[in-house]
Amino acid sequence: MRPALEATGLGVRYRRTWALRDCSLAVPAGRVAALVGPNGAGKSTLMHAAVGLLRPARGSVGVAGEVAFVAQDKPLYEGFTVAEMLSFGRRMNARWDDQGARDRLGALGIPLDRKAGRLSGGQRAQVALTLALARRPDLLVLDEPLANLDPLARHDVMRTLMGEVAERELTVLLSSHVVSDLEETCDWLVVLNGGRLQVSGDIEDLLADHLVLTGPAELAGALAARPTGGAGVVSGGPAGRQATLLVRGAPALDPRWQARPAGLEELVMGYLRSPESAALPGLAGVGT
Amino acid sequence: MIWLTWRQHRAQLLVTAGFLALLGLLLLGSAVEARLYVAGHAAPGCPGPGVACADLEVALGRRYDAVYSVFGWMPLVLPALIGAFWGAPLLGREYERGTHRLAWTQSVPAWRWLAVKLSLLGGAVVACGLLLSLMVSLWRPVFRDGIDSSFGNVGVFNMVGVAPAAWWLFAFMLGTAAGTFFRRTLPAMALAVAVVAATMFTLFGVSDHYAEPARVELTGTVILDDTDARLVGASWVDPSGREIPEPGSASGCPRRVDAGRSSRNAEAWQACLFGKGYRYAVYYHPPSRFWRFQWTEAGILVLASAALTGLTVRRTLRHAA
Repeated sequence: MRPALEATGLGVRYRRTWALRDCSLAVPAGRVAALVGPNGAGKSTLMHAAVGLLRPARGSVGVAGEVAFVAQDKPLYEGFTVAEMLSFGRRMNARWDDQGARDRLGALGIPLDRKAGRLSGGQRAQVALTLALARRPDLLVLDEPLANLDPLARHDVMRTLMGEVAERELTVLLSSHVVSDLEETCDWLVVLNGGRLQVSGDIEDLLADHLVLTGPAELAGALAARPTGGAGVVSGGPAGRQATLLVRGAPALDPRWQARPAGLEELVMGYLRSPESAALPGLAGVGT
Repeated sequence: MIWLTWRQHRAQLLVTAGFLALLGLLLLGSAVEARLYVAGHAAPGCPGPGVACADLEVALGRRYDAVYSVFGWMPLVLPALIGAFWGAPLLGREYERGTHRLAWTQSVPAWRWLAVKLSLLGGAVVACGLLLSLMVSLWRPVFRDGIDSSFGNVGVFNMVGVAPAAWWLFAFMLGTAAGTFFRRTLPAMALAVAVVAATMFTLFGVSDHYAEPARVELTGTVILDDTDARLVGASWVDPSGREIPEPGSASGCPRRVDAGRSSRNAEAWQACLFGKGYRYAVYYHPPSRFWRFQWTEAGILVLASAALTGLTVRRTLRHAA
């Protein structure tokens, strides 16, 4: 099956600085993919290139089918009423589910005659998301959809999104710099750091493939030096007499190590802390 | 797209239409009143060159000046307003509010969004400019028929013919281009106003060069008998036919300084020069060059607008994010 989003050797440059370099990834259709990375990692740049707002300097990025985008800060025309925003969507798109959009806003209790500039943060996010979903997209790209929302609004937005994903074939790519927002909803992980791709893969597979080791500090050096059986230390090191390491694969272990499965947050943090590590399909080397 | 253009820019459209309607009413009222006055007070054969018509001419002149003082500032201020309020927000506000990322990620591609907006709003601006020109051209002859056409005064010249439409289009594209380069409305507005003013003074200055000036040699007077001509320059011609900037003492005519507002000494000096065979050469543009000047100015402005459109489209599509 064709991936919903595919980038090959993608590079984007702002004047002389590269915002994104040599980025190759594929998100399979039907996934809810989390795009994480620190501020300035290139998340927005990747999304803008995917939705056609940016022309790549190198490589290419392609989307299968219709793509809808909700930019950071959920831009709406402040002077338009919610009904006029729907009218905007209907007139600017070939495919448009007006009834679905009205039903959704009705269920959320958002009045159609309210000016967009007077909506609360949560309502604004819901209207922006509704505008995107009414286009019946195959791929939905959401740039920081949960930023600046209170916990209740976050939950409501995620519920709207998950409801739609459950209902029909929809691929979602959503970015966040808060990993805990994504843990329960996403099944694919993409990690960007400093404009480079570090991780791209199924979250379950990634978690099954990584261990957190705790043990005496003096063992850490030996483990890092001798990667065995395709396994290797992603990151970590001695902190006092104890060492905590994130390792990929199943290394032959000294019995003094204590091993436990890695959590999503530990996994992401482990990679972000050592930008030279990568876990990408087709790339065997870790810690190269 | 047409609905969206209307919805987003209806404030500018309505204010401009309202302004033109008000101005139209003012001009219509003034013209009707003047016609009634002429019908009630004119001696037979007036308005015309006869001496009996002088009173009527003064009365009409007063009426003309009263209205002209209202719109004398319009050749400069209206294009500046068009640039600031039609042009600058078109892209500047989208970038400022981030809504460009909403507008340009719908099924309608960004180039079409831009093409529709530029052509609809540009067309509206040109139509409004032409309407203004039409109204002024219908109103003005009521007062100035037989006195002057609209050529001699550069301010009036820019209110009639195709000049207002060309100026408005230029100002609109200038504001739009400034909006896409600054990505903010306020600096784009300021730049549009400043550049419209600078362009206007520049073009007013160079307009004398739109054609080779006509030359005429006067004897007995230094005043060209055509109040509607645009004077470019003048100089004395000595009896041998050479142009000289200022006849000196060699001419045999002493020049004495006039006291106060009197020009008696200057006139005596001129009469003396003419008596000795000097002539006065005047360089000027006759009013028959009205359309040539109109199309030259419009051509310059339309070319500039086309260049600004190219820059705007290129910049906007390349920096859509």
